[in-house]
Amino acid sequence: MSLLSVSHLKAGYGPINVLHDVELTVEAGEIVVMLGANGAGKTTTMRAISGMIGRSGEVHFEGADIARATPDAIVRAGIAQVPQGRGTFPELNVEDNLRCGAYIRSDKEIDADIDRWFDVFPRLRERRAQRAGSLSGGEQQMLAIARALMARPKLLLCDEPSLGLAPLITQELFAVIERLNREMGLSVLLVEQNANLAMHMAHRVYLIETGRIVASGSAAELSADDSIRKAYLGF
Amino acid sequence: MKSLVTIKEGSIGHWVLRLLAAAIVVAIMLWIPTKGSNGLVTSATEALTLMSAAMALNLILGYTGQISIGHSAFYGTGAYVTGILVSKYEWSPWLTFPVAFLFAFVVGVLVSFPASRIKGVYLALVTLALALVFPNLLRWPKLESLTGGGPGIPNGDSALDTTGFNIGRRDGQMRNFEIFGWDPFGDLRGQGAIPFYYWIAAGIAVIVYLVIRGVVKSRAGRSLIAVRDNETAAAVMGVNLVATKAFAFGISAGLCALPGSVTAIRLGAVSPDIATLTILGSLTFLIIMVIGGAGSLWGPIIGAALYVFVTDRTGGWADDEAIPGVLRPFFGWSKIPPGSGIFAVILIVLMFVAPRGLVGVWKQYSPRVVRVVPRPAGVAHDAKPALVADTTTNSTPEGESE
Amino acid sequence: MALFLQRLVDGLSSGSVYALIALGLVIIYRGTGHLNFAQGEMALFAAYVVYQMGEWGLPIGIALVIGLATGFVIGAVAEVGLVRPISKKSPFAVFIVTIGLFQLLNWLSGAIWGDQVLPNSGVGSKQQQYPSLFPDQPDDFVKVFGAAIRYQSLGVLLLTLVITGLLFLLFNKTKFGLAMRAVASNAESAKLVGIRVNTVLMVSWGLAAAIGALGGVVFAGINNSVSLGLMFTVFIYGSAAATLGGFDSPGGAVIAGLAIGVIENMAAGYIGFIGQEMKLAVAFIVILVVLMVKPSGLFGTAKVERV
Repeated sequence: MSLLSVSHLKAGYGPINVLHDVELTVEAGEIVVMLGANGAGKTTTMRAISGMIGRSGEVHFEGADIARATPDAIVRAGIAQVPQGRGTFPELNVEDNLRCGAYIRSDKEIDADIDRWFDVFPRLRERRAQRAGSLSGGEQQMLAIARALMARPKLLLCDEPSLGLAPLITQELFAVIERLNREMGLSVLLVEQNANLAMHMAHRVYLIETGRIVASGSAAELSADDSIRKAYLGF
Repeated sequence: MKSLVTIKEGSIGHWVLRLLAAAIVVAIMLWIPTKGSNGLVTSATEALTLMSAAMALNLILGYTGQISIGHSAFYGTGAYVTGILVSKYEWSPWLTFPVAFLFAFVVGVLVSFPASRIKGVYLALVTLALALVFPNLLRWPKLESLTGGGPGIPNGDSALDTTGFNIGRRDGQMRNFEIFGWDPFGDLRGQGAIPFYYWIAAGIAVIVYLVIRGVVKSRAGRSLIAVRDNETAAAVMGVNLVATKAFAFGISAGLCALPGSVTAIRLGAVSPDIATLTILGSLTFLIIMVIGGAGSLWGPIIGAALYVFVTDRTGGWADDEAIPGVLRPFFGWSKIPPGSGIFAVILIVLMFVAPRGLVGVWKQYSPRVVRVVPRPAGVAHDAKPALVADTTTNSTPEGESE
Repeated sequence: MALFLQRLVDGLSSGSVYALIALGLVIIYRGTGHLNFAQGEMALFAAYVVYQMGEWGLPIGIALVIGLATGFVIGAVAEVGLVRPISKKSPFAVFIVTIGLFQLLNWLSGAIWGDQVLPNSGVGSKQQQYPSLFPDQPDDFVKVFGAAIRYQSLGVLLLTLVITGLLFLLFNKTKFGLAMRAVASNAESAKLVGIRVNTVLMVSWGLAAAIGALGGVVFAGINNSVSLGLMFTVFIYGSAAATLGGFDSPGGAVIAGLAIGVIENMAAGYIGFIGQEMKLAVAFIVILVVLMVKPSGLFGTAKVERV
């Protein structure tokens, strides 16, 4: 049984349908990357999985049907999303941002978890009392990832984490994601427009075009396809 | 949507339709003072007064999108200008109309400068504060010599009643105004000046309507609508925002002062306690405008007629015996007349089902019966090259309904 | 000195009411970005409810709890039933709906309790005066430097400060407060971390209306009566306080509310030119000038725009 399996997913905004028929799966412990151009439906897919927009089709997470669940139920089920553009709470300080991430939890280990992510992202510890809005783009992205992880998700959805970041910072972020995947078996579904860096860590890759999955396979398989390589990888 | 009848704009059929509508309006306006009861004439006068104020408000709210709940202050300005000039300086009431307009115009322009920097609900807040300050300003001891302070300018003191409107009355008798056997003051001239006030209110309503129609259909009016729809784009296209808004605010304030003057003349007295001079007046104008249809010429007219009809009918309903039997269970418990509650509910419900008001509903459904097809731009009188004709001929009629 | 002190205390006392109304406005603004024009009338209705409880012989404590609960329900129902569905249409529609609510609540108060000033033995009121939260007999005052400081004034000020303190704790020390701040900051992300944004907004409106209701009850107590026009000017003062403090700053609202209360009292007292009649002009000018010069207010963030 796949951790996440999506089929016949349709979604959009008001009368406009963006996703026509999206099929994808994420296995436990996998990093799956979805590539696509601007407007292909990457963000819409993420939002549909998280329950942020109206959708139809089937979405199963750990065997349970979550296609009609509310966003908070989906977070409780174990899916946390890092939204596009980071989506931190700019007026709240770094620590409160992390506490919001743990909103669905009521255990005693929240403080310990905050400390743990401060170990992973030491720069956040230095700025724990600063307003999130005053952080740099890279720091905010780290905060957004740490906040999502505070929910102790089984699956992390990352929406274009590289957006607006310098390549070096992006590399650093991806290294962290890879490490989390290796060390704690975190499953990741990551969408990217810019493929080069993401491809390196992907176990599997999907290509999305105008609301449909048009190709899928391992990173090596897709890189071997000339037309795909030219269109998406730029080499 | 298929319509029963389709007529071209400017065709004979369209003119017949227009004339028919105009004839009905004129007939109603003539019938009320000549054949209607005293009560009906008074109600109609009230409706015409409120309608003029709502039309004035509509000019800025409906056409430039600036929210004002301060128009009762302009209305009151008109009432007091007339009251003061007539009672203290013994002016003829006729002459006070232009002064009231100009005075309120200037006040409106002054208000518009801050207004052009403040938008939306914040402007509503500022104007709400203005509406609440205004009656206090009238009571202000520093202005008492002019405004009469708390009691205002009472009927007894005032020259309004004795010197003002003797234009039609000589020695307590109405002069004969028969025109080819038809008497505009009807059968009621013996009973005082009630129909006379009606004609003043009607005259003012017509003037306000024509001025607003002129403004809205002019180049300036198109700038106003451009400002409402997209301020930045309007500015980029060369609309002078500050000047346009100041002009609109000034005209709106000036026009709103005119029905205020009518009220002063009708009551023969002014005081800060007159409801239309307080925040209640502003709310009434707003309700009339929104219910009729913001941004349409006919909206305030229909809204005012409905408003006065309902408030008149339900005015005595604080007394349970006055309520028709069927409705008694619904309204009998209320200690005050249900009018304002009814309109509050209508206002809220309309926002959900028909945010463009009753006129909006009419525009939505009337094309099923009669559709007026606009004249193609290429064959209009100004005979411009029909470069844009393709886009305009296909568009639905977007002019305000006549 | 005595006169100055007197005016200061009077100003702080009416300023407390403005602060409570402003707090309600700010809580709603932070949550949904709306200016609730019905805030004052929600408080009015609650003030009438407390009067009615007093008529039925309930002690003021219980009457107050029922009044605040009424306020909470009105606010929550207004958000869920009216404001939330209409806010999808346009800001203008939201404005009209809050105006409609203003008129509806004012009418409803009149329909139930009539348009006389209450309590009124002429319409059969059993109470001599409006139920007061604090001792309010003619000799309930303490002399300080020659000024008669009424227990009522002190109590009202103290109450406002306590409420402010409690709100501060709610916002900063509780999980629900964290959720409220998160929703105010970024509603979209709040959903993504599992916060039930709709519940938060409903409770915010309820809380705001309840705090406003407290303001209404306190003001009716200061006034010794309740009538349909009670909250019109108080709402303007409260709005002026929220504007001056910054529409998204609860602390700013309280400071500005107290400041405006003191300023209007001092201005009316010491500047003969202004007098009692033009006190309200102080509020008008504050709103106008702040919106023109610094729309974010003294303590607000620049996020607040004039739109």
